[in-house]
Amino acid sequence: MGYTNIKVFHDGLPAWKKAKQPLHSVSKSLKNMMDTETPVVLIDVRDADSAKAAHIKGAISIPGDALAAAKDRFPAIKKAPIVLYGADTEAAQQYFSTVRDWGYMNTSVLIGGFNGWQKADLPVASGDTPTEIVYVPKPKAGAVDIAAFSDAASNKLTDVVVLDVRTDDETEAGKIAGAITIPAEEVIERLDEIPKDKQVFIHCSTGIRAEMAYLTLTEKGYQAKFLDANITVADNGTYEISEKE
Amino acid sequence: MNSTLMKTALGLAAVSLLLVPGTLLAKDAKPKVLKPCMQCHTDDTENDIRGRLGSVSMKAETLKVDTGGGSWLVNFDDETILTGAEALNKIESGKEVLVTYRQEDGLLIADSVDVKPPAELDPALLIKLEELAPLVAMGPEKGEFTIVDARPGKLFIEGHIPGAISIYDAQFDKNLDKLPKNKDNLLVFYCGGPT
Repeated sequence: MGYTNIKVFHDGLPAWKKAKQPLHSVSKSLKNMMDTETPVVLIDVRDADSAKAAHIKGAISIPGDALAAAKDRFPAIKKAPIVLYGADTEAAQQYFSTVRDWGYMNTSVLIGGFNGWQKADLPVASGDTPTEIVYVPKPKAGAVDIAAFSDAASNKLTDVVVLDVRTDDETEAGKIAGAITIPAEEVIERLDEIPKDKQVFIHCSTGIRAEMAYLTLTEKGYQAKFLDANITVADNGTYEISEKE
Repeated sequence: MNSTLMKTALGLAAVSLLLVPGTLLAKDAKPKVLKPCMQCHTDDTENDIRGRLGSVSMKAETLKVDTGGGSWLVNFDDETILTGAEALNKIESGKEVLVTYRQEDGLLIADSVDVKPPAELDPALLIKLEELAPLVAMGPEKGEFTIVDARPGKLFIEGHIPGAISIYDAQFDKNLDKLPKNKDNLLVFYCGGPT
């Protein structure tokens, strides 16, 4: 095509992000996240008065000069998408590194900032923004709520059965009372041991095998959900669940 | 060149459609090949699954491959031939893999798992981060360059190198007008990593 000076940045975006280089995001992406209720941490780095007058819906106001001191308010999950915006692109640019250096690899600066957002007639709000940053990642498809799983595990739910898909060695060392035990790779051959008229809550030790069994059962027409968390079961049947990082 | 390739690809797709019995098509609603892979890989056999590695359980000897429209569970054993990685649990999640399987009693068993090797490029074509970062900091106008993000637009809007323009590789031919007029200026392409 006649271009004389073509180069390929072969290491691509992963290398760019790893080197903590700046990233820009587009308002359309933020709007999509709002529309699909995808959790995002949105920080307004303009001064407090500007934020109070009008800010992007869902934003939290942390003026740029107070950002460094707000580290502890940021979520524990470093994968959380964090979008910073100022009045325009340039105004938030200098704060990117502050947040990125804390380890948030999905930090970006909103192109066009608040002015661009407002110009595009996208949703704004006014008044004080919440002060607490809340980030709860969207559960995976088929993941069961931990509280609901615990109710099922203590046999409080009569229409739910717990299926433990760990290996025989693992379940012999301790299993939840009343749970059906079938190793994940045998589920497909032992479907007749699983009641079809009940919901099946599946667990393993980390959620990986449980998700696989969930896919198998769902394809076979079962009402299944899986525990997407770490769980250890003691020999007396008591268990401990911890959320994944 | 691209359009010739495309025609060949379409031709092959039409032929393989004719070969697949209708019943199989209806049953296999989930795709066996991830969409971006279809750009180059058009000669897959019926026993190939091409997608991103979702998860691997060494205990259950099962791996999950995501092909966009769904997920496939494939069992593996000591005889599964692995190329491109030391061990199945050493492959990064999300990496493109080709799984060739056989069916036994309704189970899929992997004969081989191939991890996609990075494309080989002429070293003279490459630009490194150390060279690119200062240019990007300067901006395309002052630095007199154009940087093109070749990933799908959805990924571009989520986060991209400042100053980049978005031209998804699969729609490259339709977007030639987005390229700079000055053909002697530096033109940089990047995507989601060496794949």
